[in-house]
Amino acid sequence: MSAQIPGSRSGAASSSKPLLELRGVTAAYGGIQVLHGVDLEVPEGAVLALLGPNGAGKTTTISVACGLMEPTAGKVYMAGADVTGVGAEELARRGVVTVPEGKGIFPNLTVKENLLMATYAGVDMDHVEAVAYEQFPRLGERRTQVAGTLSGGEQQMLAMARGLAVNPAVLLLDELSMGLAPLVVEELYGIVARIARTGTSILVVEQFARTVLGVADLAAVMVNGRVRAVGRPSEIENELSAAYFGV
Amino acid sequence: MSGVTVRFGGHQALTDVSLGVDEGQIVGLIGPNGAGKTTLFNAVCGVVTPSAGSVRIMGRDVSNLNTHRRARLGLGRTFQRLEVFSSLTVSDNVRVGVEIRQTWERRGTTARQFLATDGNLPVDAEVDLILERLGLGGLADVPVGSLPTGQARLVELGRALGARPSVLLLDEPASGLDDPETADFGRLLTDLAGAGLGILLVEHDVGLVMDVCEHICVLDFGSVIASGDPEVVRANEAVVAAYLGAGT
Amino acid sequence: MRGIEGAQEVVKIVVTVSLMVALIFVALWIWPEDQAHPLGNLVSTGELKVAGVTLTGQRLLTIGTAIVVAIVLRFILRGTRLGIAMRAVVDDRSLLKLNGGRPDRTSMLSWALGASLAAVSGVLLASEQAPSVIPLTLLVVNAYAAAVVGRLRSIPGAFAGSIVLGLAISYVGAYTPADAAWGPIALDNLQRAVPAIMLFLVILAQPQVRLRAHSLQRARRPMPVPNQRLAAIGGLVLVATVVGIGSLMSGPDQNTLLKGFGFAIATLSLVPLTGYSGQISLAQLTFTGIGAVVMASWGASGDVFWVFVAVAVCSAVGALVALPALRLSGIYLALATAAFAIFCYWMVFQQQDVMPGSTASVPYLKIGPLEVGSDFGQLVVLAVAFAVIANVLVALRRSAWGRRLTAMRDSPVACATLGLNLMSTKVGVFALSAAIAGAGGALAGRTFVVDDFGLDQSLPITMLAVVGGIGSVGGALLGGLLLGVAPIATTALAANAIGVFRVLQRLGHPGDLGHAGLHGDRPRAHPRRCRSRHRGRLPGLLPLREAIAAAIVAAAALWLAARTELIANWGLFAAVVVLAFAVLPVLPAILPPPGENRRGRVGPTAVWLVVLLAVTALIPWENAIGSTGFRLIAILGWTVLGALTTLGILGLDPTGRLNVSGASPDHIGLDSSLGDAEAMVAAAEVGVDEELLSVPTPVALEVLRGGGDR
Ligand SMILES: Nc1ncnc2c1ncn2[C@@H]1O[C@H](COP(=O)(O)OP(=O)(O)OP(=O)(O)O)[C@@H](O)[C@H]1O
Ligand SMILES: Nc1ncnc2c1ncn2[C@@H]1O[C@H](COP(=O)(O)OP(=O)(O)OP(=O)(O)O)[C@@H](O)[C@H]1O
Ligand SMILES: [Mg+2]
Ligand SMILES: [Mg+2]
Repeated sequence: MSAQIPGSRSGAASSSKPLLELRGVTAAYGGIQVLHGVDLEVPEGAVLALLGPNGAGKTTTISVACGLMEPTAGKVYMAGADVTGVGAEELARRGVVTVPEGKGIFPNLTVKENLLMATYAGVDMDHVEAVAYEQFPRLGERRTQVAGTLSGGEQQMLAMARGLAVNPAVLLLDELSMGLAPLVVEELYGIVARIARTGTSILVVEQFARTVLGVADLAAVMVNGRVRAVGRPSEIENELSAAYFGV
Repeated sequence: MSGVTVRFGGHQALTDVSLGVDEGQIVGLIGPNGAGKTTLFNAVCGVVTPSAGSVRIMGRDVSNLNTHRRARLGLGRTFQRLEVFSSLTVSDNVRVGVEIRQTWERRGTTARQFLATDGNLPVDAEVDLILERLGLGGLADVPVGSLPTGQARLVELGRALGARPSVLLLDEPASGLDDPETADFGRLLTDLAGAGLGILLVEHDVGLVMDVCEHICVLDFGSVIASGDPEVVRANEAVVAAYLGAGT
Repeated sequence: MRGIEGAQEVVKIVVTVSLMVALIFVALWIWPEDQAHPLGNLVSTGELKVAGVTLTGQRLLTIGTAIVVAIVLRFILRGTRLGIAMRAVVDDRSLLKLNGGRPDRTSMLSWALGASLAAVSGVLLASEQAPSVIPLTLLVVNAYAAAVVGRLRSIPGAFAGSIVLGLAISYVGAYTPADAAWGPIALDNLQRAVPAIMLFLVILAQPQVRLRAHSLQRARRPMPVPNQRLAAIGGLVLVATVVGIGSLMSGPDQNTLLKGFGFAIATLSLVPLTGYSGQISLAQLTFTGIGAVVMASWGASGDVFWVFVAVAVCSAVGALVALPALRLSGIYLALATAAFAIFCYWMVFQQQDVMPGSTASVPYLKIGPLEVGSDFGQLVVLAVAFAVIANVLVALRRSAWGRRLTAMRDSPVACATLGLNLMSTKVGVFALSAAIAGAGGALAGRTFVVDDFGLDQSLPITMLAVVGGIGSVGGALLGGLLLGVAPIATTALAANAIGVFRVLQRLGHPGDLGHAGLHGDRPRAHPRRCRSRHRGRLPGLLPLREAIAAAIVAAAALWLAARTELIANWGLFAAVVVLAFAVLPVLPAILPPPGENRRGRVGPTAVWLVVLLAVTALIPWENAIGSTGFRLIAILGWTVLGALTTLGILGLDPTGRLNVSGASPDHIGLDSSLGDAEAMVAAAEVGVDEELLSVPTPVALEVLRGGGDR
């Protein structure tokens, strides 16, 4: 189910090919350019952690990747196909799931109605509910509660549940750990790693580097709209501290 | 506050919670997701009505007062899910805080001390001062809607300071800030407390909480399971099992 | 419903009310009221005895229908994915996209479901024997009165409510014979006011709702602060225009225009209420009516003192009405005001002592020795009043109080935790709004009839304000005039007027700010096709001395031609519309401000513009088209055509690469094009406000543009 991206083939043959690829992407808000040529590749079944200080352009990168924003230059490829300029709803239907920063839910819908919205991606409601409630029993207890009245962490779980249930080809997570207790964060990253093993490509944006580096296969450091370094987590430690403390 | 209980339908979100914040003290409130921290804030500032218990601000029982009356007694807060005025600019957000305060009697002296003012600044000057103090000076004319979360949280804090509170409730103010910014923020909190402000801090960044708080209270399933100095709490087994996990 | 995202309550109300009206229209179209139809007969033979009172089948049917409609709606909005998506769009548009939903299509559908359906059924009905709208709106109130008992949530509660309501109506019917009276107060219409009274009482009895700590998650776009200088200039232009055009008009037309201006002021009253603070009222014309009645019965001399009395009465009544509802959420305010409108219609305006002969003659204004003696004079008074109030409102928006209102709309709970007394602030703005609406009535200087002040008249005004996005002063003028002047004040018109308004507004701004990129929390995808649009800068009119001079010359020439009866009045009107919406927007390209180059084919365009204006003025609109409504539509179509042709000749992309200089150098000065935020500010400079920029695109324009949004 995860291979909904056009042209993507599951199996070992294609695994060398990145499922998600950004090439020379630049993006701007109004007249202000915030991404200056970003290159990123997330191989199939890999977790890439995108790290960097506040305002580096991480969220913007996610917006471009998920189709909410169109790059002013550069290309976005999914499974080799050029998807630059394809709308977010189209990508979502083809198996790209995005959990946006801090507002991944519809606050005036109930938990159940929120989950129903996930069915646009082509999975049926029973499946979504089964997965969501199994993963987060807490949501099961609160299915008729209006999502806006959930606690902050529960809201984040709900947003994440949607991502898990759809069984995505590409998963984009923006600040997953925001508002979650340390225990839950650990547990969620365990799940992230598990999903990746099913062949999903995952791009995680984080500010707290520590936990995510434990599960990431690759890490990229972004500063001022540029990717400063990409590599195995162990390789980029130095870059990372440099990025945060402004060397 | 003491013995606060809150129910939503059949679900009891808070059971008999008692907690106090002194002048100039930073109290940390931590606990797993859904423990009832935000609900406690809501009960304190009158957004939900507790079914039992009372809330006192500077010795005065405010349990029967409206939200805005409590605010006028010196209670300020920020929100976990941002409640900024997103159609206004950063400076207008803070300005609204200052202007609303000017419509009622001024009371809280602590924020004034922190800002080192004589209390009768013109609005513009006060707004500038707050923005500068929070490091938002360069963003004054940016619409808040386009700010990253971390900065929007600072705007909320600035707005609350504009009302010159004597007690400040902060609900995850540092989420969305990166590590160096969090460190700066920690210093800011200490400064505020140094000026006499009482702060109740909810935060999942345990490092920050342990650093700045003199006293920590751990909430789980709506009741206090531990409280005390940071070291005591960190060592508490129940807390480790329920919240911190082995990693920290 | 793009324009009203984030305003959950408002959306619910507008969609619900219009959908209900629409469904009821459809039902009545299928089963006309005045014919014997089997269903009605079938039911009306049945009777139900409860507590010794007989409920006739007909009455139960009426209430029952309303409830069924409510239930169906509820099912659509809660039980189907489409309906839930409609609510989701309101919460967070881009998140729905991320889920794979299609927000544009969903919005279009809810839009279609609501306003357009109302329009369609209204139009269909117009060919039939049009049923009186009053019982229909009553029906809606019936449904709500019943449903509020169940707090709008519980269906058994709603049924209990409907039984109580049916009983109450029966009792009241039994005890109030045709000539019943209580002292001087005639009670013969009491029965019809029962649902409204009940609604009001139930609302009074509701416990206070708590603030919600999750008001609006969706980030709003910055709201441009209107420009005082521009508003002042606009006011002067308005007065000058009214003097110019009014002097050309025939007596009856002037009289109609008086009503139009009265209504325009009533619409203006929604600017602070709905535009700034996000509240909604369905009774603005009732306040206009109260203002008119106070003036007619006490201030018959026309002395200005009584205008102030009327205004004071209106604001006091407004505060009283709003008080109980404001404790509750937005929908209750709408309901309470609707109930109030119905109550006043039946129980106040119908009193012979209040409106003798069901009319109220508002006198001409008299200020000390100065006395207005004609419709024309009064028209000028109204124009001045409009301009003054509009300027006060703009000043208000820029004041601390205005900021506070906006803040309260964005996050009530945050305001409360800063120490703002929400209640008194809301009552204050409601009273202000009622006062303005009352002023519209007190200054109208003409004779009103009872039916001018029904709920069915207020609804379109509010719908126009909410759906059409009249958050701004200019929009209020246009919308109010449209509603007041056009003779077909039906629901159909409301929807038409919205469409008309939208097209006008789009035409006025070829930069097309309303497009996708301006919506949502963060500037999002600009579909590639329309990226160029965002490069377009708004034509700022102020620095364009030559262009303004040319426009003034053209207007003066047209006026002279009309004065000398060279062209007919409708020709003049059409030419003015074309001038405003097809000619002015391109002037900056051919008559740029100093330091900028002309662009496009200037010569041919200039010639064409003159020809266009002349031809427009000379078309015999009046003889060719019979009804005012169709004439308006035709003129509009003509304007669109003219605008597109002009752009074609000019050789510029009609979607707006008119890269002329912006409103003020302060707002631009970035290296490349205008960003969204700057564009908003620039838009404010030319008097366009946020709401205006984001209202849903009319189908017509979508088609023009070739398919519209993705
Ligand atoms: N809607 C917007 N309008 C204008 N500028 C914006 C907008 N959103 C973001 N920006 C700017 O773009 C830059 C990059 O923002 P982005 O949100 O991508 O950063 P980020 O790396 O995700 O930061 P954070 O860690 O705080 O989430 C910032 O300077 C920000 O101010
Ligand atoms: N209005 C409400 N109706 C029903 N349940 C509610 C309501 N508000 C809160 N709750 C429930 O009460 C519990 C406590 O919520 P609260 O927001 O206080 O948690 P929290 O400690 O702040 O958690 P987090 O760290 O995740 O923000 C949650 O399980 C939540 O779902
Ligand atoms: Mg981000
Ligand atoms: Mg919380």
